Amino acid sequence: MRRSWLLGLLLALVTAGIVVALLDSEVSGTGAENVGESGPERTATPEPAASAGAGGDGDAERRERRCEATESNPGGTNNYLPDAPAQGSLGSGFVITGLVRAADGCRPLQDVRVQVWLATETGGEQDNRTSVRTDAEGRYRIETAPTIPQFGEPNIHVGYDDDDYGEVFIRRVVDLDDERAVVDLTLAPSG
Amino acid sequence: MADWRALAFAAGVVAVVAVPVALALTDRHLAGASSALVLSTTAGALAVSALVVQPLLAREGRIARHEILGAVALVLVLVHVGALFAESSEDAWFAISPDGPTRARMALVATIALFGVVTLGALRTRLPLGAATWRVLHAYLAVVVIALGIGHAVLTDGALDDVGTTVLVGLGLLGLLGIPAAHIVRTRRARS
Repeated sequence: MRRSWLLGLLLALVTAGIVVALLDSEVSGTGAENVGESGPERTATPEPAASAGAGGDGDAERRERRCEATESNPGGTNNYLPDAPAQGSLGSGFVITGLVRAADGCRPLQDVRVQVWLATETGGEQDNRTSVRTDAEGRYRIETAPTIPQFGEPNIHVGYDDDDYGEVFIRRVVDLDDERAVVDLTLAPSG
Repeated sequence: MADWRALAFAAGVVAVVAVPVALALTDRHLAGASSALVLSTTAGALAVSALVVQPLLAREGRIARHEILGAVALVLVLVHVGALFAESSEDAWFAISPDGPTRARMALVATIALFGVVTLGALRTRLPLGAATWRVLHAYLAVVVIALGIGHAVLTDGALDDVGTTVLVGLGLLGLLGIPAAHIVRTRRARS
């Protein structure tokens, strides 16, 4: 009788441990928010919230504004290879866009090189990658074949590792029927 | 009558094995996929089928086949995981890390439980456990393996979506209901 009671207690504890382990996890992995969208393409990205601002207008206010820098999330560097060649597109059927800003001053950054890589029907993450530069408004855009869930969920990587700002590598997810993904980056000063 | 029953059992087993594999291998997520990914998907789908058949074999008293299929299921799961490491070790290590997604954590716990249930089966006569204790532990670990294994497959995009999810949930329920059914039948046989 005592033995069965102990066995029941043991199994209850193990079950509780499993439940806690599952509840403690994030569905898509730590920090991998869903950035997928459908429908018409957005032409403007909402401004990230600034953490402080001076009273009044002008350059002084812009300099003192601070936007929260994008943090790398676990898995962000998976299958990253530096210096991806710049390609016009990675196929068609899916569009990845984003706005790249500086954390200091929140200003859009022109001619910044970011790398985008993802698995599609044309190749895995190690083969399917491109560098893309931001335009005068700090935006980048790359057309690609739709991402496919080779590792359980369609996901997109965007990274920055040039010298001007601190490096950042992020992994985001989308839904299978999404047509676009918006991945904005706010870069912190290097060092 | 017995022939019809055996035929129906065999047909059911074939369906349980064939349907998940057929659905998984025809899904769009394998478009342009490497052979490692195809191997991983095939092994994973076959493992689902093997786990669902296990309680039925136990209920039918086919213990030798039950033991062999348990070992086969473990090998299939190891092939499934090994092929994912071959495809991308970075993604595989991330998946089983503390930062990995819920579906991967389910798979990790299910695999550990599968090791446990196969070990219990292999050492049945050598462990200092009473028959009742052994059965409860074996059934408990089997429930964990099937529930989390099916949960892992349901949360995984690509392999078994849409109709595949319905099939998976149905197979999971079949497997889970089969465990108490087998437990009851085996306990009655042991007493008589």
